[in-house]
Amino acid sequence: MTIELKIGLILALLVLATAAGLIWKARTGLAKQIDSGEIIDLAEIAAVKDGQPVTKFGEKVTFLQFSSQVCSQCVQTARLLHELENNYDDVLHVEVDITNRIDLANKFNILQTPTTLVLDKNGRITSRIGGAAKAQTLQDELGSFQI
Amino acid sequence: MTTSTQKPAGIDPRGPRFGAAITSVLLLITVFLALDTANATSAFVLLSFITALFAVGAIFGNSKHPYGLIFKKLVRPNLAPPKELEDPRPPQFAQLIGFIVAGIGLVLGVFAVPYGLAIAASAAFIAAFLNAAFAFCLGCQIYVGLQRLGLFRKF
Repeated sequence: MTIELKIGLILALLVLATAAGLIWKARTGLAKQIDSGEIIDLAEIAAVKDGQPVTKFGEKVTFLQFSSQVCSQCVQTARLLHELENNYDDVLHVEVDITNRIDLANKFNILQTPTTLVLDKNGRITSRIGGAAKAQTLQDELGSFQI
Repeated sequence: MTTSTQKPAGIDPRGPRFGAAITSVLLLITVFLALDTANATSAFVLLSFITALFAVGAIFGNSKHPYGLIFKKLVRPNLAPPKELEDPRPPQFAQLIGFIVAGIGLVLGVFAVPYGLAIAASAAFIAAFLNAAFAFCLGCQIYVGLQRLGLFRKF
């Protein structure tokens, strides 16, 4: 193998990795709309908030965040959603650790954490955010609920 | 490695990224060496060194990893405090993934599979580079997916 070819392959590897990073950065954390999504059963997902089981959805919107123990970006998403919840009365943030809930990962086809489901006041899934939610994505979601 | 829900003390997220930057440079050199059969031995030695460091990170965590110690002693004192601390378990899991991928490269190298070591080192390089340059932790991101495939019962 000539030195030119070797350097070319190394450069190609660098370009490939950079392109993968840029594509991931552009696509992660965006909302995908879900038409006629199912209604979440709060008892089934066993959501707990401040030590109490969650029995009611947010008055306008609920952000159901699936996290895991090995998740570097779940904290960041949880912080953003917690801020929204504090700023708006009709917003609820629920975080569920699915590390030991493979049943939930299978049911909702979760391949990465965080994955956040956006629920309307009846608990119906209206969209899905894969990866660390972008602040603008969340603002747009609030807008779609007239918040 | 534990499945307890109790959270361990947080670490500076820039620590693992600092380590990933060094690792990605070393992996790129490995790939370059592995492209020439004349350098097969040096590529193998370098990848063995990287694999051993991945093992240290996977077993003892990033804070006890040599790069983590360099970061703590030499780099962090010169930086502003981080916005938020990170759970040490995700980067530790990523070290395990790195160990497995680099280890596959060594096995392929032992059996002299043509470009096997170079391809495995390239895969590890992409993961380390994404972590260093984009703060993207591939292992963490796909952990749930791997678990669903039954590859990891517990971590």
